[in-house]
Amino acid sequence: MSILSIENLHANVGETEILRGINLKIEPGEVHAVMGPNGSGKSTLSYVLAGRDGYSVTGGSVEFKDKDLLELEADERANEGVFLAFQYPVEVPGVTGMTFLREAYNSRLRYEGKDEADAMEFLKLVRSKAKDLNMSDDMLKRPVNVGFSGGEKKRNEILQMAVLEPKLAILDETDSGLDIDALKLVADGVNALRTSERSMLIITHYQRLLDYIEPDHVHVLAHGQIQRSGGKELALELEANGYAEFDGKV
Amino acid sequence: MNSSVESIVPFNQFIDSAQGDHQHGNRGDWLSEIKEKGRIEFYKLGWPSPKFESWRYTNLNKLAKTQFSLPQDMELAKLPYQDILPVDAPKIALVNGKFNRELSDLSTISEGVLVNNFHDMRDEQRALFSRKNPTALPKEGLPVKALNDAILSDVLFIEIMPGWQFDLPLHIVSIGCGDHVGFSSKIFVSAGENCHLDIVESHAGEYGSTYFSSCVSNIDIKAGARLGHYKLQNDTNTSTHLALTQTSIEANAVYDNFVMSVGGILSRNEVRSFIAASGVDCCVNGAYLGTSNQHIDNTTFIEHAAEGSKSREVYKGVLADYAKGVFQGKIFVHPEAQKTDGYQMNRALLLSDNAEIDSKPELEIYADDVRCSHGATVGELEEEHLFYLKARGINAESARRLLVEAYIGEVIDEIKSQSIREALSKLASDLLKKKLFERSNER
Repeated sequence: MSILSIENLHANVGETEILRGINLKIEPGEVHAVMGPNGSGKSTLSYVLAGRDGYSVTGGSVEFKDKDLLELEADERANEGVFLAFQYPVEVPGVTGMTFLREAYNSRLRYEGKDEADAMEFLKLVRSKAKDLNMSDDMLKRPVNVGFSGGEKKRNEILQMAVLEPKLAILDETDSGLDIDALKLVADGVNALRTSERSMLIITHYQRLLDYIEPDHVHVLAHGQIQRSGGKELALELEANGYAEFDGKV
Repeated sequence: MNSSVESIVPFNQFIDSAQGDHQHGNRGDWLSEIKEKGRIEFYKLGWPSPKFESWRYTNLNKLAKTQFSLPQDMELAKLPYQDILPVDAPKIALVNGKFNRELSDLSTISEGVLVNNFHDMRDEQRALFSRKNPTALPKEGLPVKALNDAILSDVLFIEIMPGWQFDLPLHIVSIGCGDHVGFSSKIFVSAGENCHLDIVESHAGEYGSTYFSSCVSNIDIKAGARLGHYKLQNDTNTSTHLALTQTSIEANAVYDNFVMSVGGILSRNEVRSFIAASGVDCCVNGAYLGTSNQHIDNTTFIEHAAEGSKSREVYKGVLADYAKGVFQGKIFVHPEAQKTDGYQMNRALLLSDNAEIDSKPELEIYADDVRCSHGATVGELEEEHLFYLKARGINAESARRLLVEAYIGEVIDEIKSQSIREALSKLASDLLKKKLFERSNER
């Protein structure tokens, strides 16, 4: 059974059609990269999968572990195991990192009909995961992402992913705004979460990130459709030739 | 104005009925005099109406047309603990404005704090009544003060001796009970030099009661003193609360004021602070939470009359359903008050299309070397925030609750006392849950 199966997906933002028939299958444990130029629909794809309001699906289907993903609310999708690492992680004034994580973690437990986590045990769990990502206790006490640097925000996303242990992680332009050291740290965090069960969908403009997180499959997205698919060598080819080849094609 | 004409207004009949006194012996004469003066002053000023600059957004028409009566001596079995601030502190209980010894707990009060009321009032305390108001008054005067005098039945005096510093706060619990009763409470606080005390006020009512509560506090803070003054207005949802706090602050003193308004059908909380000397740190902060058709007015006036003092004012509110909020904040800086550092911010979160906030920040500055800023924002919960929380599995209602709690939490964080900050933040979270998020379960 595939983790994710997208068939002929069409989606609009307002009146404009952005996704024009996407087909994509992801098996457990696979890492897929979707690459494409600006405006190709990459971020729209990630938001449609995560269930953000304002994106209307006009055709096609998305199955997640045999469930109709499009029928579910954003929070239900998350609780089923879909995780979107944001390109621009949102600053949430007044809600501390720890509160945020605890609410998220307990939401999942409740969704699964389980008891909430013991507060002390959970604190220990988060601290140990934060330590792996070189995040201080202080960052967990502060409001989520408020005053964080670009690198800190991205690490915070990976921490959330590590705590919530999703079945499918969608990484939306995770490399944007990171210098090389920050990028390595984030990539290490992601690689540590690779398992034979967990699948990943990496959305990126540049090949750079894929030097550190090696994909099994690479797809080129342009004009709302997947134009080409291949192995990791496709990423290198794009790096050399750019997206010019896909530009005129509609 | 002719009082017989005024008496056609039902509320004025109540004011008239409050005149005279037969309970207090000779002291009653004095009380009768205060009441009579208050009544005359109130009728002279006239009922506050939107014609008054400082009452433009709060209309008391309905109140004027409501008939209230004087409270009978009520037996109240116990304080409504779930509606007052949960702080570990000596308690002074006022029932319908009158000091109630049985419900008070003064066993842990220190000898450095003197508390007395009308019955053992001293001459110099009596003289406090004729002292003039510290701040420059609006041209329409202070009708709430006159009204408070006109129906006065008791007075509370709190004197903190110089140099005494307390970790334990003092809790004044004012409870209204009865059907359409009206009462006033009056508090005088004198904070001696270099003392420190936190005073907490909880205003609530017996379940099902409807009342009119007028509260006037007069506070004198001497040099180097630190006074925390934290108030929870959690009256029953059919009641009206009109309050006025006047504070005079001497050199290097700290006044930390916070008002949380959540109860009542109509409430107005007016805080007027007079900074008389240098080195003062004056904080006038507050939070409000309005639902159904509540009307919540916060009016503040901070007057800098001396060089080199600081004032800070942050108000944040959440309004849902048809609730209406009013914020009027004025900072007044005298010519001699150079190097004043003033900051004011009012922010409101509207959770429904029918909720409304009227916000009127004002700076009046006559000194040229000052730093004063003010701002106001009105907004809704941001889709971006909601989606971020939902994308982590938190459902829409929990996400809204978390964000609203955080919004209010930020202003509660302004409170300098840690224990009160924690108590208020816990209570605010419970109140938010009850008032905004668990309503469907109540029906």
